Amino acid sequence: MGRVIVVTSGKGGVGKTTSTANLGTALALLDKTVVVVDADVGLRNLDIVMGLESRIVYTSMDVIEKQCELNKALVRDRRVDGLMLLAASQKNNKDDIQPEQMKAICDKLRTTHDFVLIDSPAGIERGFRNASAGADEAIIVTTPDVSAIRDADRIIGLLQNARIEPINLVLNRFSAELVGNGSMMDQDDVLDILNIDLIGVVPEDSGVITSTNRGIPLVYEDGSPGAQAYMRIARRLTGQRIPIPDFAQKGLLNNIMNWFKKKK
Amino acid sequence: MSISIKQLFGRKPKSSSIAKQRLKLVITQDRLEQVDDRVMTRLHHELAEVLAKYFEFSANSVKMNLKQEGNSYILVADFPYTKFHDVNVRQ
Repeated sequence: MGRVIVVTSGKGGVGKTTSTANLGTALALLDKTVVVVDADVGLRNLDIVMGLESRIVYTSMDVIEKQCELNKALVRDRRVDGLMLLAASQKNNKDDIQPEQMKAICDKLRTTHDFVLIDSPAGIERGFRNASAGADEAIIVTTPDVSAIRDADRIIGLLQNARIEPINLVLNRFSAELVGNGSMMDQDDVLDILNIDLIGVVPEDSGVITSTNRGIPLVYEDGSPGAQAYMRIARRLTGQRIPIPDFAQKGLLNNIMNWFKKKK
Repeated sequence: MSISIKQLFGRKPKSSSIAKQRLKLVITQDRLEQVDDRVMTRLHHELAEVLAKYFEFSANSVKMNLKQEGNSYILVADFPYTKFHDVNVRQ
């Protein structure tokens, strides 16, 4: 039986879709079978971020309306074995799908795949409830800023009430430089506030923009810090124990600052 | 020299610590507000029903509040009573 994981955040624009695309691809690169599901009905984007937008024929809505078989609605990513996309309908809206219908789709997908990753829409309303209905685990994506963290906390409460666990945190767009000079909260600050487990820190990486422009998830071109971070998270998801590197350049900068403080 | 170092490193709180402080406050408030008034009213009635077997108190004197201490949330309920029904004697 595969695992169904909802990727969510509360706030929009923190990197849910990018994270879903990269983690799905990374898991497939690790020889897992994966379906990434776009649950953002009416505002779909997972297809274009993954570069599969021209190949969508059917959507989850067609499956629900029995216009086509679930298997036929899955778009195979030809760049890696074992990766499929189930697109969201663009002409419907979130109220056209019931949570039970999403759950039925997830339950079917998990019988044939190792991982089902659901890209949740922003917000705490119907779209989020549909996206999390079939999930037994969650990944919360947040950036280290006040609005994203506050919304993440709200979502964590809702997930806990729905008995979805574990809830793992991805801290996205982390800047070592800003943390170093005290302008950004570090991972310890964020964890102290949110009180959930951290599964990875993704550093700010301009490669995310260019890879999205091209429709080629970052993890295909390893090397970049963002790609490496996503690969590590994927390995942790499969149960491997990989320490989270300390991105904050605490060593150098803090030592200098502490030296000055002592001098004073 | 020592003044400029103080200005640079010592005096002004870092914006990241201000962010953390503000977030902690607002999230505490958010979490407390999620226990909505209807739930509190229901709980109030249910508790009063049970306690009425043992105590006599006027309903408007009851106070119920949520507060936070450290990492945990505490429900504080004050039921000032006027009389204790001695269940044993009555039997």
